[in-house]
Amino acid sequence: MAEDKTITLTLKVWRQKNAEDKGHFEIYKAKDINENMSFLEMLDVINDTLTLNNQTPIAFDHDCREGICGSCGAMVNGVAHGPVSGVTLCQLHMRSFNDGDTVVIEPFRAKSLPVIQDLVIDRTAFDRIIAKGGYISVKTGSAPEANDTPIEKKKADASFDAAACIGCSACVAACPNASASLFVSAKVSHLVLLPQGHAEKKRVVQMVDQMDKEGFGGCSNAYQCQAACPKEIKVENIARMNREYIKEKSIR
Amino acid sequence: MLKLSTIQKKQIVGITGLAMVGFVLAHLSGNFLIYKGPEAFNGYAKFLHDLGALLWMMRAGILASFLLHMGFTINLVITNRKARVNRYYKYQNHRSESSLATQLMPLSGSIILIYIIFHLLDFSLADKVGIIQGIDYGLYGLVINTLKDPIHAVLYIISMASVGLHMYHAFQSVFQTFGLMSEKNQPRLVLASKVLGVAITLGYSSIPVYIMMNF
Ligand code: HEM
Ligand code: FES
Repeated sequence: MAEDKTITLTLKVWRQKNAEDKGHFEIYKAKDINENMSFLEMLDVINDTLTLNNQTPIAFDHDCREGICGSCGAMVNGVAHGPVSGVTLCQLHMRSFNDGDTVVIEPFRAKSLPVIQDLVIDRTAFDRIIAKGGYISVKTGSAPEANDTPIEKKKADASFDAAACIGCSACVAACPNASASLFVSAKVSHLVLLPQGHAEKKRVVQMVDQMDKEGFGGCSNAYQCQAACPKEIKVENIARMNREYIKEKSIR
Repeated sequence: MLKLSTIQKKQIVGITGLAMVGFVLAHLSGNFLIYKGPEAFNGYAKFLHDLGALLWMMRAGILASFLLHMGFTINLVITNRKARVNRYYKYQNHRSESSLATQLMPLSGSIILIYIIFHLLDFSLADKVGIIQGIDYGLYGLVINTLKDPIHAVLYIISMASVGLHMYHAFQSVFQTFGLMSEKNQPRLVLASKVLGVAITLGYSSIPVYIMMNF
């Protein structure tokens, strides 16, 4: 087997001790990085060295490392989740970089998603939005008959596409207004398109109100969220949210 | 402000903006009468004035749209800037998703605002006197004499480019704001919006160019 290619990078990483700290950039050399590593594995390597040198490792969130949990994420050279579209940071490979590159790594930023430490941010604002209606009420017990409720293929597909949202907050991070519209619209679309989601249809109003209350911005239709989303959620969902919002407001 | 959500505020911005797009198009078709000569142009102005109460209702409508549009955009821009106090050291905008016109909405809007003030002073509030070679051509003459001045003409064209730039983003944006945009109709709406923006700029700008070449 051919030897794996390695690259050497200069990292410019945001270091911030805690929420109160002002934070600053720190430069690190990432020497002989195996191209087949993921971005997070590369950070693991840096952190090993930092630990051995009695320095505080770079804090970053991660869990599944396969693009399904939504824990990871950072701005890499000004792009949420890095230069490859449709993937999370943990799915980004080092072969996307060239030997000698300088890589700027910053946390996702927004007033409503404050930094806790280094690249770790507080996303509980998302939880509070979900608590306002990002769920359905079902009777527990034995599983219902699968074909009891027929659903149009088109609707099922659209709902499924929206359900791909992992709540990573890249949309907020990329938005010039730090708006959570793509996230909220994905949750609203996912549920409103299915009959099971109809009981709590007023969720769109409650979730949008909570989004505003949390201090996220409004949507200016700049669609930077769509480019940033690792799950390729479309802004069509925001149109649907706006539509549902008008419907729910005019019914009452 | 008023307990309205960001979505509702944006919808007010959209509907008042759309009303103003209608005004901008109607105004342009009126302006084109300048090519038919003083009788046609002044006749149209007289027709509008003779509408009396109806004209004042239209003026009130457009003024209300303007004030609401401006008030709510300023309010939204402040909300949006506050949400984005934490800026990036490095940030890459995806041009594939939104044009420069989108980013420049507050700027093009502000230029339009300044323009409107001077526009009202130049034409609406001025004495309708325009003497060309010893003869008073009224409003027609006033327009010719004002836009004959290269400084006026250039500032006018810059303002019309701002209106065009605003429209370049605005028209299609309203469809998204009201939930009428889909992946299917988006390319057509975006194209229509761009055509509208360019057409408005060229249409309005043709008038000072015509005047500078012929008077
Ligand atoms: C003839 C005058 C004007 C017309 C026809 C017009 C039209 C429009 C339209 C149709 C929109 C799109 C709304 C949407 O996305 O749903 C818009 C947005 C906007 N307008 Fe205007 N506008 C005018 C004047 C102004 C002025 C004077 C200002 C600034 C003081 C302004 C600032 C803005 C801003 C900042 C937006 C974007 C709002 C956002 O995305 O959140 N506009 N305009
Ligand atoms: S760690 Fe789970 S999505 Fe990246």
